[in-house]
Amino acid sequence: MSDADLDDRLAGPLDGALNLLDRQILDCEGRMLGKVDDLELTQQEDGLAVTAVLTGPAALLPRLGGDLGDRLVTTWSRLKVPEPNRLRPWRIDMDRVDRLDSALHLSVRREGVLTRDTEGYRFGTLTGMEASGPDDGHLGRVVDARFEPGLHGRLVVRHLLIGHGRPGSLLGYDRHDQQGPWLVRATVGRLHRSTGIVDIEAARILWNRREVRLTTPPRARPGAALGD
Amino acid sequence: MSRFFAVALGILTAIGGFVDIGDLVTNAQVGARFGLSLAWATLVGVVGICVFAEMSGRVAAVSGRATFDLVRERLGPRVGFLNLVASMSITFLTFVAEIGGVALSLQLVVSVHELLLVPWVGVAVWLILWKAKFSIMENVLGLFGLALVVFGVALWQLGPDWGGLLQQAATASKPADEHGSTYAYYAVALFGAAMTPYEVFFFSSGGVEEGWSTQDILVMRANVLIGFPLGGLLSVAIAGCAWLVLGPLNISVDSLGQVGLPVAAALGKVGLSVALLGFVSATLGAACETGLSVGYSITQYFGAQWGKYVRPREAAVFHAILLLASLGAVATLMTMVDPIVVTEMSVVFSAVALPLTYFPILVVSNDPDYMGDQVNGHLANALGSLFLVLVCVAAVAAIPLMIYTRMGQ
Repeated sequence: MSDADLDDRLAGPLDGALNLLDRQILDCEGRMLGKVDDLELTQQEDGLAVTAVLTGPAALLPRLGGDLGDRLVTTWSRLKVPEPNRLRPWRIDMDRVDRLDSALHLSVRREGVLTRDTEGYRFGTLTGMEASGPDDGHLGRVVDARFEPGLHGRLVVRHLLIGHGRPGSLLGYDRHDQQGPWLVRATVGRLHRSTGIVDIEAARILWNRREVRLTTPPRARPGAALGD
Repeated sequence: MSRFFAVALGILTAIGGFVDIGDLVTNAQVGARFGLSLAWATLVGVVGICVFAEMSGRVAAVSGRATFDLVRERLGPRVGFLNLVASMSITFLTFVAEIGGVALSLQLVVSVHELLLVPWVGVAVWLILWKAKFSIMENVLGLFGLALVVFGVALWQLGPDWGGLLQQAATASKPADEHGSTYAYYAVALFGAAMTPYEVFFFSSGGVEEGWSTQDILVMRANVLIGFPLGGLLSVAIAGCAWLVLGPLNISVDSLGQVGLPVAAALGKVGLSVALLGFVSATLGAACETGLSVGYSITQYFGAQWGKYVRPREAAVFHAILLLASLGAVATLMTMVDPIVVTEMSVVFSAVALPLTYFPILVVSNDPDYMGDQVNGHLANALGSLFLVLVCVAAVAAIPLMIYTRMGQ
């Protein structure tokens, strides 16, 4: 895979947790606005599409996970009880996103770009979901999702990466052959020796149960670099 | 010509800026007790900081991302948060130590109790962070910090047995009356003092502040690869002076005055006054760097606007953090905590936090998505991997050694 095109990564296939989550958001004047704390996913004709970038504590804190995350979310909601929809994250519609390189660039100024009108599925809920196979066997967790451009110029989930470890813990070593240093590549390859990739058509996402059911087991290895 | 000037200025600033209160105190302590037998630990630490500062500077120049951006992007929000809490606490502790160090240095000059000086130092540091231009702050304090070269002159004037010193450094022969565990403890402390995480936070964020691009990589490399080793040489000179003057008298260093004593012995009043100028500028410069680093790491984790290159109104959160950090540091020092003890703790805890900061730098500097064709070469990767293992060993060993040796007593 060649990633020589550094200008706009949104045009090509990308991994959500690796390439998009936690990136800096810059406005059209290069001023900083926040991080991509989460992504909003909406079901459209051709699959789950990224419709907005979510930012702010209401998007970030649930992603901390575990006891700490829960407690911070509760604390955050209690800091200002009368405020409506306080646990709803700030969203920036993807129409206002210009391009993605090492940061996410907006096509507008940062003033007034944040809205809190609707709420959809969050990518941060999808990653980390438990995945089970056709025979109810536990296969691991969703560690990332691979997106490709679909209808309406939006990024659509095409594959899920299933394995053991934290979302994003592949660190990109599955995407680039021979990415150094050897020590880290070998360690990531070893930790992700059972990580595989599965088409989204073979997965049923149960949002309420935070679970993914697969009709076919994942193909071994998400990429060449993990030592196929 | 102006390019040559820029390179020279950068190198001189890097030399002056390398030494901070942690290096001053730790090197004098170690020198007085162990001579140059631990010079290898400084050497290893200097090579380590060169490797990772070069990587973080290159990432900043190519991708425009500073170090804590990388921490969040590669470690995720949860582990990144853990690193934020750890690194920020240590950087704040170092900030407290540096402000205390400025006050102690001024106390040596004006003989007013440090507690009366601390609030004014706090105000001065905050004013510099609020008002001064980034490049002026860097260059002026860095250049005055060069006054510490007086330690090199003092070492030469003391006329040591150079062969003996070299042999001590080369064979790493521990003095017979010292215990192996204290030797190991001070090795970790020297390593931590040379590789403190705030150096890469500040270095990479400074690169973004100054708008580095791919063309600046050469200048950045010159600063790191010439400036830092010369700064490390200053550290060794401080240790050497302490060994020659304080070692025979069995003085253990627990005040800043004792760090300067060898210079006074070798060069008299004039030398001492130059050393004091060096102390004040080095610690004041490091206070600004650590204070900014506290602001950089928090705002970079949350994505808020940071930087001195925008007006304070644009980066309100960043400047609020700087103000609170300055107030907090002054408040901490007013409890009469000994800045020297704070310094000793900060260098040891630095060693603990190193892996979580240096690991993401190593990963991203290899990622063609960020770096294009400027990814690490074989040498950078070999050294980077080696030092990743070393910082992990130091991180695991630091706290047990600190407890076991009762902070090296």
